Amino acid sequence: MTRTPHLTSDGAACCWIPLFPLRCETARQPELASLPVALVGPDDTRRVWQVSPLARHAGVKPGMTVSQAIGLCPALKLCEPDPVHYDAQFSRLLAALGQVSPVIEPAELGLAYIGTDGLEGLYGAPEKIVEAIKRGMRNAERGTDGEGPLACSAFPLPRSAFRVGWGRGKFVSWVAATRARPGEAVIVPVGGEARFLAAQPLAALPLDSDTHRRLRQLGVRTLGALAALPEEAVVSQFGRAGRRLWRLAAGRIAERVVGRVAPEPIVAALTFFTAVGERELLVHALDQLIERALRDPRRSGWRVQVVRARAELEHGASWLVEATLKDPSADRGRIAAPLKTQLERSPPAGAVERLVVEFTAFAPGTAELQLFARDAHAAARAGRRRALRTAAQEIKLRLKRSLLYHVIEVQPWSRLPERRYALIDYEP
Amino acid sequence: MKTDRLRAINTPRRVEVELGAAGLPVMVERRPVESVGEIWRIDDEWWRAPIQRRYLDANMEGGKHVVLFEDLMTREWWVQKP
Repeated sequence: MTRTPHLTSDGAACCWIPLFPLRCETARQPELASLPVALVGPDDTRRVWQVSPLARHAGVKPGMTVSQAIGLCPALKLCEPDPVHYDAQFSRLLAALGQVSPVIEPAELGLAYIGTDGLEGLYGAPEKIVEAIKRGMRNAERGTDGEGPLACSAFPLPRSAFRVGWGRGKFVSWVAATRARPGEAVIVPVGGEARFLAAQPLAALPLDSDTHRRLRQLGVRTLGALAALPEEAVVSQFGRAGRRLWRLAAGRIAERVVGRVAPEPIVAALTFFTAVGERELLVHALDQLIERALRDPRRSGWRVQVVRARAELEHGASWLVEATLKDPSADRGRIAAPLKTQLERSPPAGAVERLVVEFTAFAPGTAELQLFARDAHAAARAGRRRALRTAAQEIKLRLKRSLLYHVIEVQPWSRLPERRYALIDYEP
Repeated sequence: MKTDRLRAINTPRRVEVELGAAGLPVMVERRPVESVGEIWRIDDEWWRAPIQRRYLDANMEGGKHVVLFEDLMTREWWVQKP
């Protein structure tokens, strides 16, 4: 298997299409545009996932149960999610952006970063680069590039849907995109990051609710207020995460856009003679397909990092689950486990006609890992060691010194109790 | 292994002990001893700095259980986990 080397870029443009799956549905069924619409969750069909502005106006919020949502808005139009369709549409959008820059990093459905380093030679000033990106997105919408049809097909995206942010590093460009008006762009000039970020609300940071609450209790409301605190004080309160937050807020971190490694997915598929609805049969089929994909000679020397299972259902519906393995593996059980969990949690909404397993991302296997790749226990041990190492580093960072020790045997045979064991610094 | 990074554990701690007529503790750090259980002796390192200890199990009033030893070289009392 060959792997395309990573392409990276400090300069970043963030393309963001809020409520991307919902917009895909609206594009597919234009009559929905005038109705209050909600998508039910792909993981939990009892809850509402994405909500159109009209439904939100009626009080429907993401995360509500379907019955609550209908109680608040009897005219609510509920849609089953079609993750395969959203994924395909997003891929088309990425392909369109790929015509503007070779460095594209998808973050989530509807959100992608574009590397902008070197594009000035092609397009000129940042404003021109942003225009090229916007043009690319509009072309994706129309399905043409002005000179000929794009590789991707038409992507009927409302022009006002996308927002573009331009800046140095992914975080600045993301915040800029969230500040942009629909269909417009916000450009943060190089050197102006700290000034731009200072006025932004705390919510722009990737915070968990607890950290957000604690920062607010400390009177910190903006990124500027956070950056005004001494870095070490923030670290002593919030540890490693605090250091990252402070640096993001101060504009000291410019995370590079990393172009996608183009993996050659390994695909194994099974078409059932008659549609299958039994969970046990699907689990068995998943196991068989994973085993078949693992035996593919292209997999040799690589461990699987991202696995995806998708199904074509009766009546044209679809089902898709994807799992990223924290510890890439070549073990069937470890690869299948997250898929089976998701199958239990959110099974296909109908009988399955065709089931496909894809390995879409890989991690290189060292000699050691290859030896132990089939040993789930060894992989688990390695995972625990990594977790311990991270935890120990975190403690050292917070307390300035390590307070973790190993108990070791010194003279276990000694008759004097204090001679038998001792403590030594724990350095996992 | 760098021995300077080693930290001893279970080192003995000096305690104040009041002895009764039988030469056994009746008070440890101003707390009364209810009974004394097993008694044993350790003699070690007689070839350099001799170590001689008399260990005993003491049951304190209230149910607490401690292990004491008397350093027979210095007549000092210490508490230590066995």
